[in-house]
Amino acid sequence: MPNDSNTGGVKLNKHAKGPRPQYFSDPASDKLLAMVMALAGEVSVMRDRNDTLERLIETKGFIDRSEINTYKPSKEIMAERDTWRESYLSHILRIVDLDTGDMGRNDISSEFQDIMDSV
Amino acid sequence: MQVRDYEQFAHAVLPEVTAEEFSRQEFVKSYKKHLATQVSPNTKVVYETQVKPAFEKEHGRTPKNRHEIRKAMNANNHYQTWSSLLRTSQEMMWKSCQVPVERQLDKLISNSRSTKNAGGSLKLDPTLDIPRYHTAVDIHCQPGGYHTEVAENDISAGAVYDRGVYIYAMGQLGPMNDDIGASTAAYLKYAYPDLAPTRILDLGCSAGHSSVPYKTAYPDAEIYGVDVAAPILRYAHARCESMSVPIHLSQQNAESMDFEDGSFDLIVSHILIHETSTVAFRNIMKECHRLLSPGGIVVHAETPPFKDMADDFDSFLLDWDTYNNNEPFWSKSHEIDPPSAAKEAGFDPDRNFEFMAPSAFEAAKENRTNVFQGGDFGGGGFWYLYGFQK
Repeated sequence: MPNDSNTGGVKLNKHAKGPRPQYFSDPASDKLLAMVMALAGEVSVMRDRNDTLERLIETKGFIDRSEINTYKPSKEIMAERDTWRESYLSHILRIVDLDTGDMGRNDISSEFQDIMDSV
Repeated sequence: MQVRDYEQFAHAVLPEVTAEEFSRQEFVKSYKKHLATQVSPNTKVVYETQVKPAFEKEHGRTPKNRHEIRKAMNANNHYQTWSSLLRTSQEMMWKSCQVPVERQLDKLISNSRSTKNAGGSLKLDPTLDIPRYHTAVDIHCQPGGYHTEVAENDISAGAVYDRGVYIYAMGQLGPMNDDIGASTAAYLKYAYPDLAPTRILDLGCSAGHSSVPYKTAYPDAEIYGVDVAAPILRYAHARCESMSVPIHLSQQNAESMDFEDGSFDLIVSHILIHETSTVAFRNIMKECHRLLSPGGIVVHAETPPFKDMADDFDSFLLDWDTYNNNEPFWSKSHEIDPPSAAKEAGFDPDRNFEFMAPSAFEAAKENRTNVFQGGDFGGGGFWYLYGFQK
């Protein structure tokens, strides 16, 4: 595994001084969103790693874990990964894209009742 | 030194990243790009098709300014989601840059103290008060701001900031993060072809991103930089020396400096003013007037003011950072009126200028959104310059 644990003994404060705005009426939603995006980030990190692994297997025919840690993508592979992440983010944020259509309306209970009554 | 247009230039104190740390930063870059290009445009659609009609129905008129738009949008779920996503991306960005620095800070400090000597200098003042506009909140949500120190000879704030700026701008400021300085210098060469400064001062120079391109533009000039924060100045010094660019850095507040009257021909600042205050801006302008030689020029580079936005909605978008990214002076600083500021500081109001300078880093041109919106100021494609000649 990569040596990305903190061995220097220094701890930087991870929270910016100042109140964090509340975006949704329920603060739990803000937390949930942050969790989902952190998770999305970690999946993306794993995907990058897997991509690296597969490329090394392809070119070398065997796995050397230290090579995975030092692998540095080329400009072309970085562009491929950019494209993949773009599509990946479209999946994760699907619900946001729908805000401009019917799914974004939250005042449709009477309209939906009409549909129910009509069937 | 090898510079590639698709990655940050690896000078002696740029933090190294493991493959995983690099992927984490790359994710944040993609996440921000997705928000800027795919989600942000829908914010305007939602405003035009949902929020504005509802406001008009309730009030019998359209929203009269960016503040009314913000209040109406704050209640809209799409905007809440976009805002929450953008804020979260900013927090993830800083963390993705902090973890690698934490891991290798000893080595980075050691590197910073053993760089080659390019002829620059560093003068720190431990007695200098860090102004309240930097301590009240951590500006742009960088934990600890520019000034917090966690080790002896600390450079962590600079190391986090340097990488953070690159990720924030999604590389659009170039491999040296120097687009603002390079674009401003290009304007000065174009507008003032006879200007041959012998001493140039960069106010609030932070990591020296914008100071360095002045050495390219004016190779014979001596370049000076001031900043209030020691850890970022130590970092800037090591970075500039390792890039073989001599800059004379000192820890001073731009509101009151120890340089002699008339000792500079050119004074510049880059995205500094919005991180100060009303009183500080007034003081900085007076200091600029004092320090300039006759005919000397001061120019401040920022994102465009509200008056240059196409409409109130665009002003509202520009204003996002004020309320969501710990930028308390952003809003007021984008209302600065250069002619009034000129008069107040003793400059001739007829010799001030405003200019939209195109971004100098050409390689990013086709990917820019050309919109001035939270999370993507490197993508605006222009920098707003305002300046004064003594």
